This record gives sequence, C-alpha cells and structure tokens, in this order.
Amino acid sequence: MSINFLEIKNTTFVASKLNKVLDFNLTIKNEGDIICLLGPSGVGKTTILRSIAGLQKIPKGSISLKGKVISSEKKHIEPEKRNIALSFQDNSLFPHYSVLDNINFGAKRNRNSKYNFDLKELIKILHLEGLENKFPHQVSAGEAQRVSLARSLMSKPDLLLLDEPFSNIDESLKVELQLNIKKILKNKKITTIMVTHDSYEAFYMADYCGIILNQGLQQYDEPYKIHHEPKSLDVAKFLNRGVFVNVKVVESDCAVHSLIHPELGEIKGKLVNNFPAGSDVKLLLQPEDLIHNDQSKLKLEVVDRKFRGTNFIYTLKTKNNDLIPVFVHSHHIHQHEVEEKFGIKTPIYIDHLVCF
Amino acid sequence: MPILTVFASFFSTTSEYYELLKNTFLIKYILNSAIILTGVLALTFLFGVLSAYFVSFYNFPGVNFFKWALILSFAVPAYIYAYSLTAFFENFGTLFGLLTWLFGEGEYNKFIPKFDGMFGAILSMSFSLFGYVYVLTRASFYHQSNNLIEVSKNLGFSAKESFFKIILPSARPAIVAGLSLVAMECLSDFGTVSFFSVSTLTTGIYNSWLSFDDLNTANQLSFVLLLIILTLFFIENYSRGGAKYHQSSQGFKKIPKIDLNGKKALIVTIFCSFLFFISFIFPTSQMAYWTFKFPKYFQDTNLWSLNFNTLILVFLASLVLVSFSFLINFGNRISKSKFLDNLSLFSISGYAIPGVILAVAFITFFSWLSDFLTDFFGFISIKKIFIGSVIGLILAYFIRFYSLAFNGIKSSYLKMNQSIDESSYLLGYSKFRTFRKIHFPYLKNSIFLISILIAIEIIKELPITLILRPFNFETFATKAYAYASQDLLEAAALPSLFLIFWAGLLIFFTSKHILSEK
Repeated sequence: MSINFLEIKNTTFVASKLNKVLDFNLTIKNEGDIICLLGPSGVGKTTILRSIAGLQKIPKGSISLKGKVISSEKKHIEPEKRNIALSFQDNSLFPHYSVLDNINFGAKRNRNSKYNFDLKELIKILHLEGLENKFPHQVSAGEAQRVSLARSLMSKPDLLLLDEPFSNIDESLKVELQLNIKKILKNKKITTIMVTHDSYEAFYMADYCGIILNQGLQQYDEPYKIHHEPKSLDVAKFLNRGVFVNVKVVESDCAVHSLIHPELGEIKGKLVNNFPAGSDVKLLLQPEDLIHNDQSKLKLEVVDRKFRGTNFIYTLKTKNNDLIPVFVHSHHIHQHEVEEKFGIKTPIYIDHLVCF
Repeated sequence: MPILTVFASFFSTTSEYYELLKNTFLIKYILNSAIILTGVLALTFLFGVLSAYFVSFYNFPGVNFFKWALILSFAVPAYIYAYSLTAFFENFGTLFGLLTWLFGEGEYNKFIPKFDGMFGAILSMSFSLFGYVYVLTRASFYHQSNNLIEVSKNLGFSAKESFFKIILPSARPAIVAGLSLVAMECLSDFGTVSFFSVSTLTTGIYNSWLSFDDLNTANQLSFVLLLIILTLFFIENYSRGGAKYHQSSQGFKKIPKIDLNGKKALIVTIFCSFLFFISFIFPTSQMAYWTFKFPKYFQDTNLWSLNFNTLILVFLASLVLVSFSFLINFGNRISKSKFLDNLSLFSISGYAIPGVILAVAFITFFSWLSDFLTDFFGFISIKKIFIGSVIGLILAYFIRFYSLAFNGIKSSYLKMNQSIDESSYLLGYSKFRTFRKIHFPYLKNSIFLISILIAIEIIKELPITLILRPFNFETFATKAYAYASQDLLEAAALPSLFLIFWAGLLIFFTSKHILSEK
C-alpha cells in the first residue's frame, strides 16, 4: 500500500474560543493534487492552513506529510522545518526588501528539489514585470498577492497552501492567472491546498473540494459531485443558488424515479439519496433545472428578472409562494415582463434529484 | 519594584519627623505642588495648542523654521531655564548690565521684575515643557482629515467656530495626553523647585532623605505623590487609547494651509518668534554669555571628565535600555505569552514615577535586600554594587526610562504584520535568522531614533543622578545643580551650556521623527 501524501486525522483546529473545526479528516492520496477548501467567512479555513503550516498547534488529532507526523497532540515540528509554503491573504511581504528580493527570499532553500522555476518566466506569468525593483508599499494589493505567491513558489515547497490567492485581483486577470497557475501546479506536480469562498474558482482549480460548514468538513469530493450530489441540506444551501420545494416521492425503485409537486406536476430523474415511495421530501431546484417553453400549458407568474450577460434569471412564483429561479439564454428573443406568465416545459426531467 | 517598596514602607512605622511633617508641612507641600501644577498646565496648554494650531493651519513667514525650532525647547531642562531666568533678572544681573550699557548708570534694580519663587518655577517649567503639548497636538492636527474642516465650512461655520467646535475637540485626546505628560514631569520636577526654594512634595522627599536621613518619611511622602501621579498616568493612558482611534482616518487628505498676510501674519510670526526666543534662545544665550564672561570657570571645571562622564553614561544606559527592550519585545512577539506581556505592562509604569521617588525607593530596596542577604546567607554587603555606583545608576535609569524604550520599540514592531514573521518561518528561516534578516534591518532606524530620544532624557535627568551617582562623579546636570545650589550661577553656566548643546544636537537629528510620529 502506498503512503498517502497528506493525512489529517480526527483533528481539532482552534481559531478562537468560539470558533473551532472539530474532528476533521482529510486525505490527499497523490502528490500533485489540488484541493480546494470552501466555506463561509470565519468558519476556520485559514486556521486549518495555518495549522498545517505549523504556525498553530493542534489540540487533538494528527497531521502527517509523506507518512511522517508533523503535528499531533504531542509533536509539533516548527514551521521552518516543514517545507510547507503558505501564501497569506493579506500583505505579508518584507517591507524593507524589494519585490525581487522578496521573491528570492526563500529561493536558496531546497536546491535539490525535484522541480525548479525560472525566475524570469515566473515573473512574466504572474504579470510582475517592471515591479522587480519596487518596494512593497509601492505596489497594489493584487500585485502584492502575486509577489507573495511567487515567493512561495520559489521556495519549492513540498506542499503549497494558498489562502484566497485571487481575492484582490481583478476579474479579467483572475481568469488568466487561475489558468496559468493551475498549469504550473500540474506541470511541476505541486500538491496544493487552496482556501476560497468562490465556488466557481474552487470547481475550476480543484481535483477535490472540501466543504467546511458548522465546525466540520461536511463533504470531500470531486467538484462535479459536490455540485450535483451534495450530501446535506446545508451543503446544498451553501453552494447553490437554487431553492427547496416540498414534493412527494411517487416511485423510487425503478431506474427512473419520480416525484410529484402539486403545481409543477410530475418530476422525473434519479434520486441522489433514496427515499421510499410516499415520503414527503424537499427537492432542490436549481436555475438550470427547469426549461422554458412558451407553448407549455404549465405557466407561472414572473416576479423578477435579472439580466446577467450570458443569461437571464427569471424568478417565478408558485401558488404556495415558492420562488423558483430559471435560467434563460440571453439570446432568447422575447422577454417576459414582471407579472406576465412564463411557460415551463413538461414533463420536468432533472438528472440529479437532490432531496432531503 | 519601586512602587512596591514605597507602598510597603507606607505602612511601616512612622517616624517622629513624619508626624511633625504631617501636622505642619504636608498640606503646604501639596498646596504648593498643586499651584505650580495648575499654572504650568494653563501656560503649556496656551502656548502648546496655539503654536501647534498656527504652524499646522497657516502659512506665515518662517513657518517651516518654527515648525521644528519650537521643539528645541526640549533641550533646555526646567532647572537650567530657572538659572537663566534668575541670572537675567536678578539684581545687577544681565538685564541690569544691558540697560546700563544702553542708557548709562541708573537705579534699574527697582524696576526690573523679579521672577523667583513660585512664579519663577511656573514660568521655567512652562517654557521647558510646553513642547510636549505642542508636539502631540500638532501631530493630531496633522493627521486630522481635511474632510472635517471642509464639512464644517460647508455647514457654514466660520474659521473661528470651526476651530472651537471641530478642530479643538477632535484634538482633545492628544492635548490631554500632552498635558498629562507635562503634569507628570511637573510633579516630578526637582531641580527647579529646589533652586527657587519652593517646598513641594519632591523637595520634601529629597530633604527628608538628605537632611534628616529619614528614608521612611521620604517613602511616605512618595506614596502621596505617587497616588496623584498614578491617577494622571491612567488619565493619560486612557486618552491615548482614544487618540489612536481618532487618527485612523481613512480619507486622509493633507490640509492645505491658509496664507496669512499683513497684520495677522505679523502677529503670528511675532508670537512664534517670541515663543522660540523665550524658550530656547534666551536660556541658551544667557548661559553662553556667562560662560564667556567668566572664563575662569573653564579652568575650574574639568570639562573633559564632565563630557566623558555624561556621554559614556548616556551611551551605556541607552544601549542597555534599547537592547534589553528589543530583546523583550522580540520575546513577546515570538512567544505570544500573556504572562510576559502583563509583566512588561507592569514594569513600564516606571516612567510615571518621579526620579526622586525612584532613587529613594531604589536605596531603600537595595539596603533591605543587602541586609537581608547578609543576615540570612552571610553574603558580603551588596550595597556598594548598587548604591553609589555606575551600575546602580544605569539600573535606576533603566527602571525610569524602560517604558520609553519598550513602547517605542513595541510601536515599531506593531507596524510589522505578524504574517511577515510567519512568512519567513515558512520560507525556512529560524526565529533567530528571522530576527537577524527581517526584524533587525527593518527596525534599526527606529531603534536608533529611540536610543537618541532616551539619550536626551538621560542627559537632562537630575534627581536620580544626583542621589545615586558615585562619589565625586559629575555630569552636566549634577555639576550645574551643584554650582547653582551654592549660588554660583556663573559657574553653572558652562555645564548648562554643554547640556543644552548636546541635547539640542540630538534633537536636531531626531526632529523629523519627533514631529511626524510622537
């Protein structure tokens, strides 16, 4: 049996007296995997990174890297001896060194590392050209964040931890950076744990995502499954823009399951979590689930319309006051005004029926 | 430690002298201290706030010069100011000579006002201490957002109304902080009141120690004074906490200065020139005049040893203070231990303790410790090591000025984010290497500045040096005091002038820092 790259077992992370993450288990099997931790602000994501890096001790559990325990109740290897880099969310550049000196600060470490970086190329990829001789107080927050990232990469760590690495970077550059950084990490096989609250960013970057809610790791899965097969009501609520409606399970034994909603009628698909026929459950309806059709007999009232560039999101109201979001392609010819009726294609078919 | 000693001895047996004192002099001491305090606070408030207001908000001839020239008053300790005041106005003094030279012989003595006693003490202290109010208030004005003033104008307030309704109240924490510093210095003052023979708590403490050899009474008087000062200390701390909040304005815009013309400019320029002249030029030139008028004291005074003593003492004390504070701050930073933090907080209250009290408590403590060790363990007496020695002197300075060093370094450290240290660890640098590679190069400028600020304080320090110095060991301050108390003011001029020169030089080097941050 091969050794897991990183193993966190039954660990408690303490951010403050009130804020803890309990009984945390996470395994990174392969070197080079990218893991994203998602969760609302203040849930303790940063604390987890800090504890892995060794900046904080853990009161319970154990963390091991490449089969060697680096943190446990009894043992604590100092951060400088771990070879784990952490790129902070806020500015942590050394104020009296230039950008270039900052980037090179940890470069002397790990001369025999299995990978290496070309400094000039890294500067180019991160769009830091021309800033080399500036000092930290002369660069913007987004630039500082990129310098910090470059500095972490140049130290050639075994494990790279990124705390909201793109939070200060503007939208247009963000997409390009996400692409380039993912490419670098994958090329050099740098195992990375990244913390973010942007689920799109997580879904794009990650091989695996972890959802942290209510003091614990709620789900650890591939991004696709996280989105389509959330394991709990809370995860679904945290990630999705959808709503929950009350339905009754009609058929749950055959290949195609079916549910009934008093107004929407029959809804077919595959139940992610199985329930016996006759159960009253809540079904997650996401904007992409219902399909618009002007010819349909099923019509709901429009209460709101948001133009989002690539699409519209209509909000429809049912008789018992559920507000259901529906995507419509933005090239759709005619627009429905508020208070108009809006047709939904029937019968409704949803691939993953997420019910609780 | 000094606080504890004083508190402990307050409850020990009272001597007869103390009983006598309590019945007769104690009230008088307190009353005198209170009168001086009130006068000094009123004058420093007036001079400090007005000058800060003028240089912060207006353009007038010489504004950039006055901006830093006014802090030169820090170079003149109150007791030296007192010498100059007396020298100038006394019978057949400098003013008399000047008038004679200008208008011929005359009965000028009758008309020349005499600044001595209480009034002289108040004037001397006000002109040497108003700098605290000036510096802190100016900093607060400087950091005040222009938005506030624009809003007030927009709401239809006149310049005068804006000043009283907006500008002054928002600088209040800084002004209070400045005034409490003045109050602490004023209550701890020893040299001035002793020169003018005004009986206050500090001279009471000194006299009961020296003339009556009664440490207990000295300690008990100290207790009274300490109570008053600790109250002020807490007020200062409290208002400083507020000042921090007031300065963190997001929309910081530099205030465009208003140009003053004609009469107004003239008045303001005259005011500032007057203040600068009175607070610095006057005492300096008086001292210089006498130094050259009576050159025979050049031979009498051993200049070399005086310079050497003072500078080596100042250098050693600053070095010890700053290195130790730096180390403790570093320790605090890496350990994040609450205990160390609290301990440091406790030990920094030393600055609030007047030098006289500290010195007396110091002697009490080490006499007790030495006796204790000799009695119980048969140690040889350690009194000699600490009392009347350079080591003891440095230790006492250390207790007195530790807060200055500690807080100075702490505030520079606070500007450095904790994540900077953490980044360095994560890049494989040990704590020690982080200190060498990150902390030291980053902090070395501010540490240099803090050493200089401490040096200025130590050069001016009188009572601790006077009480704890080794036999025949003289610094500028003690030499000037010794001559002045023998009514040899002419002789006191030379050491005083040197003191002003060195302190002024150090202030000159740090003026930028004092003006921008303190």
